Amino acid sequence: MTNEAFTQLVDANYAPLYRFALSLARNGSDAGDLVQQTFFIWATKGHAIRELSKAKSWLFTTLYREFLRGRRRDSRSSSIEDLPPGGSELVAEDVDKVSRIDSAAVMSALQTVDETFRVPLTLFYLEDMSYQEIADALDVPIGTVMSRLSRGKAQLRMAFERADSPSSKVLPFPNAKGARAS
Amino acid sequence: MTIEEAKFILSAYRPNGSDAGLPAFGDALRMAAGDPGLEAWFTRSRAYDEAVARKLRQIVPPPGLREAILAGARASDAQRSRAPGMAWIAGLAAAAALVIVVFSMKAPARPETGNAALAAFAINDMVHEKHGGRGEPASALVAELETKGARIPGADRIDFEKLRSTGCRTLSFAGHEVLEVCFSRDEAQFHFYVARRDRPPGDSAAAAPSFITEAAGAAAVWSDSRFDYAIASTAGVAAIRRLL
Repeated sequence: MTNEAFTQLVDANYAPLYRFALSLARNGSDAGDLVQQTFFIWATKGHAIRELSKAKSWLFTTLYREFLRGRRRDSRSSSIEDLPPGGSELVAEDVDKVSRIDSAAVMSALQTVDETFRVPLTLFYLEDMSYQEIADALDVPIGTVMSRLSRGKAQLRMAFERADSPSSKVLPFPNAKGARAS
Repeated sequence: MTIEEAKFILSAYRPNGSDAGLPAFGDALRMAAGDPGLEAWFTRSRAYDEAVARKLRQIVPPPGLREAILAGARASDAQRSRAPGMAWIAGLAAAAALVIVVFSMKAPARPETGNAALAAFAINDMVHEKHGGRGEPASALVAELETKGARIPGADRIDFEKLRSTGCRTLSFAGHEVLEVCFSRDEAQFHFYVARRDRPPGDSAAAAPSFITEAAGAAAVWSDSRFDYAIASTAGVAAIRRLL
C-alpha cells in the first residue's frame, strides 16, 4: 500500500475508530493508543487484505480484539442472564433531552452501559458497519446483535435519566454568613 | 408479529436508513406503516437515535492523533525496509521476541519501543509533520536548548506534566506520550523529543547516546532514569554530536 493510500485510509477511518475506542476504553489516552495500535497492525499485516472495501470492517474488528486482548477480564461484566429488564417507554422528551446535552455527556452516558451491550450499541450509532459486519466482529448471530442493542438502548436511556436527575446536578454551596466572595 | 416484537426489531433500525433493504426489517416496517401508534413510536425512536448518533459524530479525536498514526506507520516501514532480503532473520527475531513476550507479558503488546524505533519516529516526524508548540515552559526549554554550549536538559530539569499541560506539542509513540520542541543552534535546526516511559521498579539504567543516520536525516537517542530522548536534524550526526 502506498503512503498516499495509507494516509487516505487513516483520514477516512481514524475519527470513527477513535469514537469507538473511546466508548470502550473510557478515556482519551487509552482510546488514542488503541487507534494507533490498530493502524500499526494494519501497517504490518492489514495491507495483505485485497479488498479495500473490507478495510473499515477489518479496522473496527481489529480494534475491538485489541481492546479485549489488552484489558483484564472484568468480573463486573454482565452475563446475558444478569441483565436488567428493558427501560421505560421512549417518549418525545427523551429526544429533547439528548438534543440538549453535549456530546461529551452523551459519550459519558454511553460509557456506563455494560460492555456486552456497549460494543454493538456504539457500532450501531457510528453507522459505519453493516449488521453482518457487526455480527462478524462480535462473533455472534445478527439476532444476538439486535437483542444486545435493545438492552443497550434501555441502559443508555437510564443513564441519561440518571444524568438528568436533580441529585446528579451540582448545587451551589450556600454562602456562609460573613463569607467573602473571592 | 406483536407490537412489542415489531418494536424490538425496529429499535435496531439505524437512523440513517441504511437498513431499509434488509429482509429482517420488512415485516416490522410494513406493520409500522399500517399502525399509527407504532408509526409514531418508530418516528420518535429514529429521532432519538439520530440525536444520539449526531452527538457522537461531534466527538473529535485529540489533536496530533492522525499525525502520530502516520508517523508511527512510517517508522515501522523504515524499520522493515532497513534490512531488505533479511526477512528470515527478522522472522526468527520476531519468533524469539514472541516467546519472550508470551512468557513475560503483563500489558497489551505495543509497537516496537527500542531506541532505533524512537530514532526512526523522530526522523519521520521531523521530515513529514508540522511542528510548533505553545506555552511559556516550552519557550523556556527552547531558550535553554538554544544557549550556546549548554548541555541538553535531562529528567532533573524537564517538567513533563507542566510542558504538556501548557501547550507543548505532544505526540504518541508506542503508547507513550512524547513532547517535541524545535530549536536552532549554530545555524542548524534540531528537533528535541522527550518520551515518557514506564520503567519497571528498580530499573534506573541510563543509556549513552547512540546515533542513527537515514536518508532523510540523523538522530541521536539516549535515556535517563525517567525519559527516552531523541534529537533529530537534517544537519547530520556531527552537528548533533556537538550538542551532547
